[in-house]
Amino acid sequence: MRRLQARGVSVRFGSLQALDDVSLSIEAGRAVMLVGPNGAGKSTFIKVLLGLVRPDHAVFESDAGRVSIDNAWKERIGYLPEAVAFSENLSGRQLLGFFASARGVARSRVDVMLERVGLAAAGRRAIRGYSRGMRQRLGLAVAILSTPELLVLDEPTAGLDQEGLSVLWSVIAEWREAGRMVIASTHDLALMERRIDEICVLRGGRVLAHGTAEDLRRSAELPHRIWLETGQSPEAKVELLCAAMRKWGKGRIERVGDRVLVEVAADETLELVEIQSGFPGVVQGLRVEEPTLDVVYDKLLGVA
Amino acid sequence: MMGRVGRALVWHELLERTRDRWVIVISVLFALLASGVGLYGRSAEADVAKLTGPSLVTLASLLVPLVALVLSHDAIVGERERNTLGLLLSLPVGRFEVVAAKFLGRSLALTAAVVLGLGAAMLVSEAGGAATLMTLMGPTLLLGLAFLSIGVLISALTRRQATAASVVVVVWFGLVFFYDLGVLGLLVITDGGLPQSVVSALVVGNPAGLYRVQMMHDLAGFEALQDLGVTTGLPGAAATALLWCGWLVLPTAISGVLLSRRKVI
Repeated sequence: MRRLQARGVSVRFGSLQALDDVSLSIEAGRAVMLVGPNGAGKSTFIKVLLGLVRPDHAVFESDAGRVSIDNAWKERIGYLPEAVAFSENLSGRQLLGFFASARGVARSRVDVMLERVGLAAAGRRAIRGYSRGMRQRLGLAVAILSTPELLVLDEPTAGLDQEGLSVLWSVIAEWREAGRMVIASTHDLALMERRIDEICVLRGGRVLAHGTAEDLRRSAELPHRIWLETGQSPEAKVELLCAAMRKWGKGRIERVGDRVLVEVAADETLELVEIQSGFPGVVQGLRVEEPTLDVVYDKLLGVA
Repeated sequence: MMGRVGRALVWHELLERTRDRWVIVISVLFALLASGVGLYGRSAEADVAKLTGPSLVTLASLLVPLVALVLSHDAIVGERERNTLGLLLSLPVGRFEVVAAKFLGRSLALTAAVVLGLGAAMLVSEAGGAATLMTLMGPTLLLGLAFLSIGVLISALTRRQATAASVVVVVWFGLVFFYDLGVLGLLVITDGGLPQSVVSALVVGNPAGLYRVQMMHDLAGFEALQDLGVTTGLPGAAATALLWCGWLVLPTAISGVLLSRRKVI
């Protein structure tokens, strides 16, 4: 599968329009992150994709043609549910053994998967003794057991420690490199940002924005924060620099100890660098901070 | 015909249920009490069909429904509460098949519990009595499966496992203890004016009642039923088989339909 496209996905629960004409496409080798406030429709979209919610309208297409959400389709998907709590009476190995049988995967994959998610030592222990992070890693092992073409992850970072996060990042990277697809719903924008290719922001069941992190930053039109380190430079010269920038009049300027903070639009950064170069020896260091994805997200959602 | 996922789920359910401590506790309790009844019958040197058998019927009619309901009450709602129902249904399997596989897997666990209990009684009873007690096996399994099916339905109808647990306790008390009292109450209120066919229908309309009446009839003969006030209108073999089929199939089938028709999991 080189491409999957969802068009016009609409779901209504009574008076609630959970999804309203949502369209989304994903290419092979790409990872898409679904973000949005609670009730935005992220989980509902995922559930439609998995056949767990019957949409009022939806069209799914791949490069091979129309896709029906049937058993053949489900063979191609791996799923990690949010906050999954497996039966505590079984061991991790027994649980994976069941999913291996159900997926028609060789039993030898069970040990490989336990090793892959760092649970080889705990594989024979009852799940009741697992920490939350270990359970989440076990869920990840279930999701990737059959090497699905599309990996669907619902809040995959929840409960994971650094070791678990490393496993998750390596799985996502592996899926992208192998030309498979990943769709992840999350609230952890900052954590996920560097591991995914595209972000789809949902609100009220509609797509608010969709693109790369860079696309979203651009569309949010938030200023970059530029820190100018003045170190031991004479006060008079620093004031002269500040005065020049105020005269330029395109950004907000603030003195913070021996540093100067300037907030300017992304496309004005170079101009600022040129201004400061007119004051040789005053600026000893320069650091550019892009707006974080959390700030971009808040701006897109209209959160103060 | 059950597919790959369904078959895997049957064995998974069996494995999981046989590790449930409540199921183990009640099954062992049933086995201990059943072997106690067997030992008592042996020491009393009474006819197995007149003492040990009827006593085991009474014991089984109390405990087997309880084992079955404990086994089944979380079949659907437990998965939903643990967030694993979606994971299960994201596998290439139909919703109806999931319910059927859960019923079958738990039926195997129930069979193990019943065989363990009645087997213990047979082992300790007097020589020759085991064959008589063996006749209890089939109907006792049917009784358990009927309650298992009811438990699956309860698990499909409830939204929380705690609610399902409460409902099965009510159902157990209701069908095992109070139902017959209710029928007796009706007889008292009507001053015995209810036709025997209605009384019989009411008694056998409850799987626990059907089991008791059928077993009393098979073990101790028609006179034993007359002692209980039932004189006519007992269903024939075909009707009895049909009743058991209904209790076994209908609640599970309704559960499957309910899950299949659900818009969101």
